This record gives sequence, C-alpha cells and structure tokens, in this order.
Amino acid sequence: MSSLELLDVVKHYAGGGEVVRAVDGVSLTVAAGEFVALYGPSGSGKTTLLLMAAGLMAPDSGSVLFDGRDVARLAERESAMFRRNEVGFVFQGFHLMGGASALDNAAIKLVGDGATLAEARRLARPWLERVGLSERADHKPGRLSIGERQRVAIARALVNEPKLLLADEPTGNLDSRRGQQILTLIRELCSERGIPALLVTHDPQAVAFVDRVLTLQDGRLDDEPRAELRAVSP
Amino acid sequence: MNPKILGVRVSMLFHFYGWRLRRHTAQELLAGSGIAVGVALVFGVLAANTSVFGSASELVHGLTGSAQYQLVARSAHGFDERLAQQAGRLPGVQYATPLLRENAIIVGPYGRRPIQLIGITPSIVTLGGAATRNLDVGSLLLAGGLGVPVDIARAVGVRSRQPVTVLVNGDAARSRVRVVLDKSTVGSVADSSAVVSLLPFAQALMHERGRVTQVLIKARPGAERQVAAELRRFAAGRIDVKPADNELRLLAEASKPNDQSTTLFAAISVMVGFLLALNAMLLTVPERRRTVAELRTQGFDWRQVLLVLGFEALVLGLISSIAGILLGDALSRTFFHHVPAYLTFAFPVGAQHVVHTRTILLALGCGVLATLIASLPPVFDLRPSRRADAILREAGGDSEGFGTDTTLWLGGAGVAIMLVVTGLVLIVPSLTIVGGVLLALATLCLIPAVFAVTARALARFSEHIHGSMLVVAVNELNATSTRSIALAGVAALAIYGSVAVGGAQHDLLRGLDRTTTEYLNTADVWVTTDDNIFIADRFASEGTAAAIARAPGVSAVRVYQGDMLDVGARRLWVRARPADDPQMLQPSQLLRGDLGRATARLRQGGWMAISAGFAAEHDLDVGGTFALPTPSGRVRLGVAAITTNVGWPPGAVTLNTSDYSRYWQTRDPTALEVSLQPGVSALAGRATVARALAGRPGLQAQTAAQRIDLYEADTRQGLKSLGEISTLLLIAAALAIASALSATIWQRRARLASLKIQGFDRQQLWRALLLESAVVLGIGCAVGAVLGVYGHALASRALKLTTGFPAEFSLGELQVFITLTLVACIALIVVAFPGFLASRVSPRASFQE
Repeated sequence: MSSLELLDVVKHYAGGGEVVRAVDGVSLTVAAGEFVALYGPSGSGKTTLLLMAAGLMAPDSGSVLFDGRDVARLAERESAMFRRNEVGFVFQGFHLMGGASALDNAAIKLVGDGATLAEARRLARPWLERVGLSERADHKPGRLSIGERQRVAIARALVNEPKLLLADEPTGNLDSRRGQQILTLIRELCSERGIPALLVTHDPQAVAFVDRVLTLQDGRLDDEPRAELRAVSP
Repeated sequence: MNPKILGVRVSMLFHFYGWRLRRHTAQELLAGSGIAVGVALVFGVLAANTSVFGSASELVHGLTGSAQYQLVARSAHGFDERLAQQAGRLPGVQYATPLLRENAIIVGPYGRRPIQLIGITPSIVTLGGAATRNLDVGSLLLAGGLGVPVDIARAVGVRSRQPVTVLVNGDAARSRVRVVLDKSTVGSVADSSAVVSLLPFAQALMHERGRVTQVLIKARPGAERQVAAELRRFAAGRIDVKPADNELRLLAEASKPNDQSTTLFAAISVMVGFLLALNAMLLTVPERRRTVAELRTQGFDWRQVLLVLGFEALVLGLISSIAGILLGDALSRTFFHHVPAYLTFAFPVGAQHVVHTRTILLALGCGVLATLIASLPPVFDLRPSRRADAILREAGGDSEGFGTDTTLWLGGAGVAIMLVVTGLVLIVPSLTIVGGVLLALATLCLIPAVFAVTARALARFSEHIHGSMLVVAVNELNATSTRSIALAGVAALAIYGSVAVGGAQHDLLRGLDRTTTEYLNTADVWVTTDDNIFIADRFASEGTAAAIARAPGVSAVRVYQGDMLDVGARRLWVRARPADDPQMLQPSQLLRGDLGRATARLRQGGWMAISAGFAAEHDLDVGGTFALPTPSGRVRLGVAAITTNVGWPPGAVTLNTSDYSRYWQTRDPTALEVSLQPGVSALAGRATVARALAGRPGLQAQTAAQRIDLYEADTRQGLKSLGEISTLLLIAAALAIASALSATIWQRRARLASLKIQGFDRQQLWRALLLESAVVLGIGCAVGAVLGVYGHALASRALKLTTGFPAEFSLGELQVFITLTLVACIALIVVAFPGFLASRVSPRASFQE
C-alpha cells in the first residue's frame, strides 16, 4: 500500500519585487486508504501543495515522496507516466472534452496509455456505472448536469485504478446536495481501494466527509482547526 | 451632445467597446484580421475587375467629351479627311473633329514601348473632354512634335524637346517630343499609351496624308436623331456610324470571359470573407455570451443588450472593413493590376487604377454584414427560454454543434443545388458563372454532412488503434464542430475556386497554345511590325517581299493580311491568307464544316470561316451567307466553316487575301510568310531574311518558334491576373485557416493542460492537434477538389459553347494535387508552431480558469 509524504516542503514565488512564501515548510503524510482534506482560504497555498503532490511543480526545498520516489524531481516523460499510471486527478472545472461522450471522456486517459478506444471503453464502463452514470454513457457533456459532469471526471480519474487520488475543489461548482454525493463517492472509493486521497477545498462542509483535516494558512499548516471547521470536523 | 439610444448613452456604447477591446485585444484583433482579409479579397478582385473597363472609360470619354456620335473607318487605312469637313457641314451637326489612330512603337534611349499614335486637330477642344480641354495651349505646344504621356516618356527615357524614333507602318521616323503630358494637362491620357500629335504631323509620320480613321460628331441640342440619320445616309454603308463611346461596348464584349472569371472569384471571395469573419467571431462567442449574461444581470433589457452587441459588431465590422479595403486596394494595384496585352493592342485601355464608389460600398457592406451575421450566436441567449444559458451552459456543449436535422437539410440542399446547376448549365451554358457561384454555395452546404460522416468514420476507425491520438482529435473536432466546419468551408471554397477556374484556365491555355502553333507553323519565318500580336498592323511592302524572295534559301514569300473589324458589339479579328497558303484553317479549331471543302472554298474566294459565337449571334451555319461590313461596303460572303474564336473572345473571320485586298481596298501586308528551302534551318533563314530587311527598321523577322513563344507569353500574361487572384485566394485562405486553427488551439490550452495532468505527454498532444488540423483541412480540400473538378468541367464546356474558346477539358490531376498540397502544407506548417507551443503548456494552466 502506497502513501504520500511531503517533507518540509517550501515553495516561494517572486513577483512585483516581493517574494511570496506560498508553501512554507509543510510536512504531511496521507496514508493508504486515508482521505485528507487540505482546508484554507484563497491564496493559502493549497493548490501549490496539490501541484507538488502531482509532480507538476518542484518545491524549492523539501521532498514529495510517493512509494519512496521523489515525484517532484521526475523528468517530464516519467512525470507524465506517473500521472497517467498512478494518479487520479479531479478538477473543479471538470475539463471534459465537449465532443466526446461521457464514456469516451472517462476512457480517454487509457488511450493515452496505448489502449484502443474499444478497450478503453470496456474498462471505463464499470467506472461509469460505479459513479451512477451507466444510463448516461452516450451523452455528451453539454447534455449532462454539472453534478453528472463531475461524476464523469471522477470516473476518468479512477479508470486507470490510480494509487493516489488528488482533487482540486471538486465540489466548487456544485450545490451542497450534489457536493455531498461526490465527496461520499470519493470517500467510498478511497477506503474501498485503499488509496490515499488528498482533497483541496475551502468548503467547510467538505471536512465532514474526510478522515482528517489539515488547515493551511499563509503557506503553513495550522495546528488548531479553524473555528468554522470545529462544528463539522469528523 | 450625448444622445441616448434605447436609454443607453452613445458614450456608454463606446465605453463598453473600449472595455471589451482592452480585455480581449487579441481576440478582437484576430476577428478583425479575418474580416479584413475577406474584405481585401473581395475589394481587390472587384477593383481589378473594374479598373480595366474604368480606365478605358476615362480615356474614351476624355477624348470624345460631349460628342455623341462618331464616323469610324472599317480599316486602319481610314477614309478621306475631306469627309470629316463635309460631315461638319451636315444639318444639325455642331462640331465635327477628325482623328487618326494607328498602333506604333516609340523608341527612346532607355527602350521601346508600344503606343497608340493619335492625330488630332485643335477643334477637338470644342468637345470639352477631360483629356483635351487643356490642349488649347497644347495645340501650339504640339506643333511639329509629339505629346507623350509622362509614364511612357519616363519608360523610354525622353523629356520635352528631345528626339525619339517612332516605328509605324514598318518604317522608322525621327521625331521630337514637344511636351510630356501629365495628369493636369490631359487627365487619364497621362496613364495611357496614347501619344498625341497634330493631325498633319501624324499623317506624315504614318504616310497617310489626307486620311483619318474617325470623326467625332457633336449634334446641336435637340438634333441628335436627325444627325444620326444624316450620318448614316452620309456614310453610305462604307463607314460605320456609332455612338461616340462605342469602343466601351466592344471592350465589354472582348473582356467578358475575363470579367466573368473574376466575378466568380469575387463571389467566392465574399463567401470566404464571410466564413473567415464568422470563424473569427465564433472564437469570441464565449466572452460575448458572458457579456450578455453580465448585462442582463445588471438589468439591461434585451433591446439594450442587442444594441450593445450590434454596436460592437458594427464598429469591428467598419474598422476591419476599412483596413480590408486598404489592403485590397494595395493588392489590386500590385498583384491584380495586369491589363491583358491583347486588350491593350485592340482597345485604348489605360493603366490607371479606377475604383468606383459602389465597389467601396459593396466591400464595406459585405464586411459589416458578415460581422453582424457572425455576431448573432450570443443573441440567441436573449430568448426568454434561454435567459440563463450564458451563465449555465459551458462552451463545447451541443449548442456549438450542428444538429442532425440541420446537417441533413444542408446536405440535401447541396445535392439539390448541384443537380439544379447541372440541369441549368446543360440547358443554358451561358449561365455557367451563375452555376459556378451556386456550386460554391453547394460546396458549403455539403461540408457539415461530409464532416459528420468523416468524424463518425474516423471515430469508428480510431476505436481499434492502440494509443491513437485520433480519438482525442476527433473528440476535439466534435466539440468545436461549427468552427471546424467553417474552417473546412474556407478551405473548400478556396480549393473549389482555384481548381474550377484554374482548371478551365489550364484547358484554355492548352487550347490556345495548340491554335497558335497551328496558326503560325504555316511559315518558317514571319516578317511583321514590332509588337504586332494580332498581325493586324499593316506596312507598305515597297519591294520588301521581292527582296526577301531573292534571298538565298528562301523558297516562297506570301502576303498575309489582317485587321480588326467592328460588327455589332464585336470587334472581330480578320485574318486573310493567300490562296496558296499551305493551310487556310487550323484543323483543331474547326467546329462545324468539312476541312477539305472549307479550305477549297476559302481558296476559291467569296467564302469565309467565322467563329461560333458570331455565327450563333447571327443564326449562321455552314453554307449560309452574311453581309460583312467592309470598307468598300457590305459584301455578302458564304460561310465555309464555323471555328472556335481562335483565342480572341469576340471571334474571328478568316478569308483569302484576294477577297481581303478587294474589299478592304489595300494590298499592304500585315505580315510576310516566308517558306525556306529544304535543309535551311529556321534560324539561318531568319538571319537571311533579317539581312534582306535592311533599311526597314520597323520590320522584324522571327522564326515560327520565336513567334509562337511570343504569343504564348502574351496569352499567359493575359491570364496572369486570374492565376494571381487564384493563388492569393489560396494563400490567404490557407493562412486564415492556419491562424484560426492556431487561435482555436491556443484557446484550448487549459483543456490541453488537463490532458497533460492525466498523463498525456507533449508529443501526443502535438500529434493530436496536427491530426485535428489535418482532418479539417482534408475535409475542406476533398470537398473543394471534387466540386472544383466538376465546376472545371462545366466551365470548360461553357468556354467552348458560349464564347467559342478552344478549350478541351482535361482533369489536370497534377494541378489539383499542387493546389491541395499548397493549401494543406501552408496551413499545417503554420499550425505546427502554435500547436507545438500549445502542447508545451504547463499542466498548471488547467487551474487558471
């Protein structure tokens, strides 16, 4: 079983003559099967942390370890293979292909890995069923509701049976009922498949569905949970 | 002063557009460029089209002024000058002023130029033409010399009071430039090849003492009909009585095929321009839909939103169209402005660039209308049922695609148009140009159906290929199908126009080359005056033929005669061959009649061969007769054969030199056909003939091959504009497609970034982008090529049937292939770079929405 470890990670941005410490010495671990929420206001450094976890950004110092490998230091091709084979990513903006059906959107990642579309569809169909969209498999994104689109995005993230699930504000565009459905789904998948999942959010309601909440403030982890989280913390 | 329209201050409309411009500068620039390119193509083609006729019109009216009629000679030999004086004394005639016109060559220190030498009298000033009204003083300036247009003077390197040589009627005459004529003195004549002198001086130069070719007549007010009748009686059937600007009617007939081809290009350019504008505007749809949503949220009602959108489109359309007109003007002045040499020889066509107000308004109107129509998609959000669409529906949904019903309907319409065009053109070949425009429309209608079928087939095909980026490409194409269809439409139209017109042009060139070879291969060496492409400029033989006949190696010298003859709206090319000529008719140009019988009849005399267009106009067939208006009166000749127009749009008349000499009352040749003895090479024979021509600097000897080369060069020069317009349309379309594809790709960087996050590497994405572009281009090129070949076949048939051109259809696979390759390569090469950059997008971009 794999786990995600960030060790004393630092990331600075320079701009406008100032240096902004986006992530300032953060260390955290997400164990296998654990669903962790990284909570914080806009500009607190959550997305930067997520990008480093996905190997999309290298920290200025510190390490991002997955399965013992420092994923932030991989070469571009290796990094692409890491994301293709081991990471499932859910975006706030879905990023679905408008011209493809729900099934093809879910399957597309496997095509990039060398599968035929027919094979990819066969593998993606159970995941679409798993997220409750088997009836809508042939519909294009334009004919799906926003919640359904996010479920397609989740199916796409899981179709390669990832070892790590990363989600960037997956409920940001959803109403609270649909948001809860999505978070429940991620939680179930995470524990069912024993994979670590890191959720970035600023939705206080989201923390009720996770195993652990980490609060990020000005690039640092807060020891104490914020007031608005206390009522809903697991 | 800041009025309100529908409750919105005008200043606010400018503010709104200013904000839009600042926020989406790149998109507005792209949209504006698309519109400008389309307008430039339309304007460039139309302006080039109108310039030939416009410059001739300015020149003719500049000379004829207020004259309503003219007496015009039926041959270059003209008629007695005293007739002009008698005409001036006819009842009702207010002014009568004679002219003498002849083609000549002016030679100066920098080189030589073909000119039209015009002898005038001071009385021409009374007609008040723009070119002559200032010659009151000029007549004195002209005394004893030439008035040379400034461009000609510059080209041959002469100034006022400097000597020049004029080659006319086979002889060289020394003369002097009295004045260099600029626009302030002679208006549009300054841009023409018309060199003027006083009539006696011109007569002396041309050895035509007491002769004139034209008398311009102005009737007293109210006496026009009486004067026309008097002139007809006076002309006694030996001189033509025509409207003063009759040359323009003749020019219109002669330039009709060229005009029709450029009209087809103009229509295609309008469609291409519209599609470019539409595509460019589609790129801005998401932003403008958001603007609609914002305005509605802020309480603007639908009319006010419509006003804001309409104003933005109007400003964009106007600014872009003005830029397009300026660009088009530059194009029409540089690339498109070639006056065909064959027209300048037969008509007074100037080089000036003439743009009519209606051309500007038409181009402007097309640009603005295209922008307004292309701005419509966000307007649909104003419907009560879709009030929240702009906020709720993301781009890439079904709203961007063509529905199945629409696709089927359009496909059906495309097929129906093709069938209608086929029927129409088969029954009425003269409607081929209309058919060509309709076929262009059919091309567009067929694109959505072909796109849908191709996308489906590719999707099926891609299902079984491992790791195929075709899957990504097809999905992206489907997501932006309207844009893709518009781009494929641009490619299809450009290819269609180029293949159809280019193919017909190619057929025509082959036909013309063949007729030229047959026409000139009757002699080993030709002796003519310089620049005499129709072999219609006569010269006094003065023993020249006999001198050549005595030269070693020469076996025979035959007199060839030719001229131009105006019959109705046609300026016919008259060609007369001696009865002992080895070939009276070009076999390949014979359309009706038996070659052997027709040749025998032509040799016998009293018969002529005429072109199909002229025959059809007068309902003539082989064996019929026609009274030809010759300088000695109407002469009834039998029709021995019907031929093509032998390359001259108004048509030709072929007869023997005995008939010609008798009816045209001249024995002067316009060429000498020299046959060499066996074993004497053409080049050696030419050198021998050239030596025999010593003392006749106005005459030149050319081998048949040299003369054929000259003809073919002139033919190609005459069709050069068409080729350039076609090439430019292709290049503009390819670049426009490339820029629009690049913009589409660039706009999708966030989605490309998300694909990267899912593990696609940059080579895979680049491959997908190139595949997507190739599919769009492939669909457009294929549909355009198929319809283009069909249009080419119809055009060649029409050229042959309606204008009588010697055009034989041949598929021209190589040309089609080159055309397709040109568009595809330019577009793919241009797209490859932004595609490469876009494929390098940082995965982080997917978080920056």
